[in-house]
Amino acid sequence: MKLEYPKEWFLRSADIEGEAEIGAGIPSWNPKTPTTSETHSASRIAFGRFVELWRRNKGWNPERLADEAGLDPEEILEIENDPQAEPEPDAVFKLAKVFGVAPKGLYVIAGLVEPRSSILRDKVVRFAARSENVSSLDEAEREALEAFVSALSKISTES
Amino acid sequence: MNESIVWLREGATGNPVQASLFDEITDDHLLLWSTTWSPEMRRYVAANAPTDRPEDSHWNWRIKSFSSSGLLSCHSFSLVCNGELQALMIARDLASAKLPGQFGQPLVHLEFVATAPWNRPEFHQPVRYKGCGRILILAAIEVSRACGGKGRIGLHSLPAAEDFYEQKCGMTLLGADAAHQNLSYFEMTETQADQFRRNQMKP
Repeated sequence: MKLEYPKEWFLRSADIEGEAEIGAGIPSWNPKTPTTSETHSASRIAFGRFVELWRRNKGWNPERLADEAGLDPEEILEIENDPQAEPEPDAVFKLAKVFGVAPKGLYVIAGLVEPRSSILRDKVVRFAARSENVSSLDEAEREALEAFVSALSKISTES
Repeated sequence: MNESIVWLREGATGNPVQASLFDEITDDHLLLWSTTWSPEMRRYVAANAPTDRPEDSHWNWRIKSFSSSGLLSCHSFSLVCNGELQALMIARDLASAKLPGQFGQPLVHLEFVATAPWNRPEFHQPVRYKGCGRILILAAIEVSRACGGKGRIGLHSLPAAEDFYEQKCGMTLLGADAAHQNLSYFEMTETQADQFRRNQMKP
């Protein structure tokens, strides 16, 4: 959609508008639709695991990841270890930039937005199950991580 | 993504300033929102009483944008001037009119409309730019015309903005909508949209 109106239209329109206050929409509307507790919990666990595996795969400690993302180390620890904690949208966005994955996908994984497709929901749950916490990042974990990064990169079309 | 050349007036001088209206909210726009608009909103909220808090102060445009992106019925707009984000809007075209005589006719509903804090008189006097709101209304009218709504639009106004829609846009107030937190619901008919496009209201 392209507006094709002359400059004069807009300037007169600005004069009509003056310093009027603008705003529309439901103040407390939240686009996050209710999730089932099962999927929600799996999603948060998957998000924490993903952050942890990605970090360990790089050989970074939580502090290094926090520095790279511009976050507090406490936020990283909370994300990795507390599935009940709801991460801040801005924190998820910053992590997505560091990870090089689509922020949209990471919002879904973080449980901030309900996935629009059951395929993605299944991937989240499967990832959470496959990446059960172990002491070192072995080949299976690395494969799980790489498969999940690949799935995240396709999220724009799936979600 | 389309870019339309539009014009605003600088609040302090009245000088015309060229701006761009994009029919998408991109990651770059959201980055501007999170690094400039959102921090200014947070500062204002922290410095003022809860009763003075803007009704949209907690809106997270990242989440709103993600939730609407990819949906064929949703239309997002970003207004940018001098590298700064000035206003945002998300509209939906699967709505129908409620006005008598228009009932059931297709209409574009403006789900969310907001201007940057520096374009609001309660934040800045004078405002940085004038004209953002009517540009978004014009964009919604054009979306409606393209979708078969003949320019019809509807919205639930935030309380402080009711005069704008009634006095500055010529929309009709239908009353408080109990299903939407008692916000005032406004509609613009095809005729009112034509009048808006002719831009003949008195300043």
